[in-house]
Amino acid sequence: MADAPRVTTGRWGIDGADTIEGYLEHDGYEGLKKAVSMPPDEIIDEVKASGLRGRGGAGFPTGAKWGFIPKDTGKPVYVCCNADEGEPGTFKDRELMERDPHQLIEGIAITSYAVGCTQAFIYMRGEFLEPARRIERALAEAYDRSYLGKNVAGSKVSIDIVMHRGAGSYECGEETALLESLEGKRGQPRLRPPFPAVEGLYGSPTVINNVETLATVPHIVRNGAGWFTGMGTEKSPGTKIFCVSGAVERPGNYEAPLGTPARVIIDELAGGVPGGKQVKAWVPGGSSTPFLTPELLDTPMDFESIQAAGSLLGTGAIVVLGEDDCIVEAVLRWLQFYAHESCGKCTPCREGTWWLVKVLHRMENGGGRMEDLPIMDDVGDNILFKSFCAFGDGAVSPILSGLRHFRDEFERHVEANGCPYKDRPVLAAATPRTGGAEGTIPAGEVIP
Amino acid sequence: MSDQPLVGLTIDGKHVSVPEGTLIIRAAERLGIEVPRFCDHPYLEPVGACRTCLVEVEGQRKLTTSCTTPVAEGMVVRTQHTSEDAAKGQRGQLEFLLINHPLDCPVCDRGGECPLQDQTLAFGPGESRYIDPKRVYQKPIELLPLVLLDRERCVLCARCTRFCDQVSGERFIELFERGAAEQVSIAPGEDFGSPFSGNTVQICPVGALTSSTYRFVARPFDVSSEDTVCPHCASGCTLRVDVRRGEVVRHLARDNPDVNETWLCDKGRYAFRFPDRDRLDTPMLRVPGLEPVSYGEVFAAIRERSEGGRVAFLGGGRLTDEDNFAMSKLARTVFDTNDIDHRMVSSPEGLAAERNAAAGMPVTYADVERAATIVVAGLDTREELPILHLRIRKAVRKHGARVIDVAPRRTPLADVAEHVPCAPGAEAAALGDLGLAEGDGETVVIAGPRLAESRGGIEAATGLASRVSGRFTLVPRRANDRGALRAGVHPALLPGGHPVGEAIEGWTAPGEPGRDTRAILEAAANREIDVLFLAGVDPLTDFPDADLARRALANARFRVVIDISRAALAGYADAVLPAAAFLEKDGHFTDWEGRGQRMRPVRQPPGLARPEWQIFQELSEAMGKDMGLTTLDALHEEMGSLLSSQDGKEGGGSPEEVLSQRAGGERGSDEGEPPTLTLFTYPLLVDEGRLSVDAGELKEALEEPAFVELNPADAERLGIADGGTVRVKTERGETELPARVTDGIAEGAVFVPWNQPGLRANTLLAGSLTTAVTLEPVGAPAMAGEETS
Repeated sequence: MADAPRVTTGRWGIDGADTIEGYLEHDGYEGLKKAVSMPPDEIIDEVKASGLRGRGGAGFPTGAKWGFIPKDTGKPVYVCCNADEGEPGTFKDRELMERDPHQLIEGIAITSYAVGCTQAFIYMRGEFLEPARRIERALAEAYDRSYLGKNVAGSKVSIDIVMHRGAGSYECGEETALLESLEGKRGQPRLRPPFPAVEGLYGSPTVINNVETLATVPHIVRNGAGWFTGMGTEKSPGTKIFCVSGAVERPGNYEAPLGTPARVIIDELAGGVPGGKQVKAWVPGGSSTPFLTPELLDTPMDFESIQAAGSLLGTGAIVVLGEDDCIVEAVLRWLQFYAHESCGKCTPCREGTWWLVKVLHRMENGGGRMEDLPIMDDVGDNILFKSFCAFGDGAVSPILSGLRHFRDEFERHVEANGCPYKDRPVLAAATPRTGGAEGTIPAGEVIP
Repeated sequence: MSDQPLVGLTIDGKHVSVPEGTLIIRAAERLGIEVPRFCDHPYLEPVGACRTCLVEVEGQRKLTTSCTTPVAEGMVVRTQHTSEDAAKGQRGQLEFLLINHPLDCPVCDRGGECPLQDQTLAFGPGESRYIDPKRVYQKPIELLPLVLLDRERCVLCARCTRFCDQVSGERFIELFERGAAEQVSIAPGEDFGSPFSGNTVQICPVGALTSSTYRFVARPFDVSSEDTVCPHCASGCTLRVDVRRGEVVRHLARDNPDVNETWLCDKGRYAFRFPDRDRLDTPMLRVPGLEPVSYGEVFAAIRERSEGGRVAFLGGGRLTDEDNFAMSKLARTVFDTNDIDHRMVSSPEGLAAERNAAAGMPVTYADVERAATIVVAGLDTREELPILHLRIRKAVRKHGARVIDVAPRRTPLADVAEHVPCAPGAEAAALGDLGLAEGDGETVVIAGPRLAESRGGIEAATGLASRVSGRFTLVPRRANDRGALRAGVHPALLPGGHPVGEAIEGWTAPGEPGRDTRAILEAAANREIDVLFLAGVDPLTDFPDADLARRALANARFRVVIDISRAALAGYADAVLPAAAFLEKDGHFTDWEGRGQRMRPVRQPPGLARPEWQIFQELSEAMGKDMGLTTLDALHEEMGSLLSSQDGKEGGGSPEEVLSQRAGGERGSDEGEPPTLTLFTYPLLVDEGRLSVDAGELKEALEEPAFVELNPADAERLGIADGGTVRVKTERGETELPARVTDGIAEGAVFVPWNQPGLRANTLLAGSLTTAVTLEPVGAPAMAGEETS
């Protein structure tokens, strides 16, 4: 895999690539220069032809999303970059923004031009201090060199980008909650319809795309749809950054073509489970995607294959649990995350996650009962597809899939009146920042 | 009712056709199918938060919330009755709602009338599987001295916060925190200072929000209830009054889509103790102190005093349509006088508008809700007609109605209205300059009581309405002022707006118009009135010239007071007749629209007290001129023939009688001469009025002490600082008040509230609601050289 094509991570490891000088030296803003010489609809057509699918988790075709924006409504069109990356196990957008902030800015500028937007926003996760600094600096540089502001890249086009930092809420990555938060309101999802493409930010047509999606756009514009479809699979073209964490030797971000088998990513790129031990369980796309078992490690990492295997590609965040790791503890930690992050708007998500945490806590620490297993199945079912937004569906993925594939482990917790793994090392402790590709973040700027 | 196209669908196998856009939950209601719900409320926007109304819609992968999903042609819906998935989904959500809800129903005020109890019983699981500790909070939080919040009972349906956001527009409470810690709360140091706060208690589907006036007071099964109409203003809200062991413990809003929807203001809800305080329960005569006597003795005294003498009647806004009608007939046919009035201020200019109002319903709530343009003049809607205030806001929220508020002082409509400031008395010029054009959609022009006093104001308002083919109405403030007008408690109008001089079958009346309130009081002061009837009115506090009122009452030869309270005019009355309070009456109140609404007695009046119409009928018998109004049926028959609408909903035409002088807000503008200041006043919602007796919680929550409000330019010129003390001096009197300096009031205008603690504004007035005034700072020397420009 060493010769895997590198698209969005292509400049990682190049010293100074996060500055405008470094960026310009390595084809920076060439996509934007080309874009502003094209009719906007041609850009949309090119992105449609590339088959690019959203990298934020849902995999919705990006060109189609742009095509939904109604024309001539008399209202402004907005582009919002969703940089609220918060899914446990997912850390690709953070590194994309730290290492190559101009790539994202260029992607936003091209997207804005394509959909007729002159005011774009970056909704930055509140905890992302270093990415925010880098983006802030890059925005200033881009304005300075007229890649933003009036007469972008020598054209008659004006594009402004404002970065807004969130206040620390996973739910604000949900696109309508993001819009609410951006408008200064409580970060809770909106009723749909109307959809953001029709009535989004401030009631105006709005495109919302993930950081990685937008970072891919300049490459497609520069190299063409044909180049892009030459990578990956037919329905999931291109490359993707896979965030690998958990019980692996070298956790980090690895870019690979979609369709690369999970085993290749886990074993060859991330070095496999430490100590030559076995994989007990893995999730392919972050904590909200169901567990898969080791027999499925050869599944190609693309949207269709992973769904067929019983999970979701999600953000491409592979979390590996080794044979010494405790499923119940992993599920408990994830459910605690969801209970903490639930926005509180709807009953099943708010109360259901609270209930599951209480039961799992007893399972793990003593007091679990055999009858708690079917109760957790049923509580999960009363949340699944019944909550206001997809948060609830994601929140019950760990418990429902955990009970499905690893029921015996829950039963052993009841029998042992607590966790049988207590005296063993459990889930990898705080993972050191390494980065999967060459190059390091300059010393002194690392935010622990 | 609607001209929207109909959509057909089936729910549980039954077919129903409903207007396009109807929500599934409403369509199900039409079929009598009840789906459980908490966040859903017919007067709030859908939110889809509680998830208990899940139903199955054929072709949908997931269950659907019926409270957020509009119907579609051919849709097939299955509720809990025909879908096990829907039933399980609903059960699951109800179980979730109870895991953190304390089962403290035995001590909860909502117990027995609680949607959570009722719907869990009907749709929920019999037992909970939750065994872990529940969420607890410190309790209760006082959001306002009226409203308490027990957070652990809250199901986070957000009805209360959405009410504040969408209906009252006063966002004092909000959801805080998230997840299971989400809670309704209020910013530190703030209170829920909305005069609509009690609505949140009524629409709370659990016992999370409770009223301090009702907390731990009663259970649903030990109150008796009856439906009546609110006595506090002319909004016409229909009420349910709860009585426990004969004493009023609660007012609730009744559902009434045409009028108050399901809302009440806090005065209507919380000022409910007055019928239980200091009640008169026997007739009395002064001999020389007031002594209990029989009705017959009082009637004999009236007969003796009125023989060959001059009789006059003043009526209040508290009398029912029936009481007013009987009083109107009594004055004309028994005492042969047109000296009868219910208005505290009036001018000949208002007569045409009054005739129009007496004859029909020139503007209704529905007209306001539909209107594209709403012009409000001389009316502070939130303070004077709170439910009209909410309906105007609804028109803005629903379809972006344009609201123009012509008034000297910015009102709480300001956030949705264009405020056109004008000096008091200059409303006519401001209305004339509005530049509205026909064809901008339907326009309604709503004139408040003060416009009748403003030179040319009515003419300008009616002229504006007719220019744009809109509707015009002159609205009263007190509960049944409109009913009094319709009944002819008016010196120039007989029942139904018939002018004095027209013949009415069975009635005899002088052919010339009588005296209005001011003229009656002046005549009484000059010892020209032999018998003065005061029915539910206290000129000392109600008439805008306290000095004249005092002299009139002192000099009237025989004063007959018909009232509910011992406190009323005890010092002046020669004869007292005890009246029934509104909640003891069977009859009607007519709201500002002209809509008569039935009120039913909740209980018997105390002792010998009885409705005024019975007293007037018996008096007529004692006078030897039986009016024939011995029963409500007899009254209704005669009223029906006289009060039937003459011309329906005729929009305001040109007034027939107007003063020819156009006023104008010409104020002294001569160079070097300080401009004159004009004081004006109107009552705030929560004040020292007699119907707010013993409403301590309401006053603690919302009553403001008296103040004087003026424009920064005037303040600077006079050396008055915001918050400083000001000496307010008029022809009639003077007082000292704290200043509020705000650009929300027109230059040259000075506002004082009518009746707040610290000031009765009528002590400063000379018969009009406006007067020339001088202001000077107290405790600071006046600035030198203030006359230079």
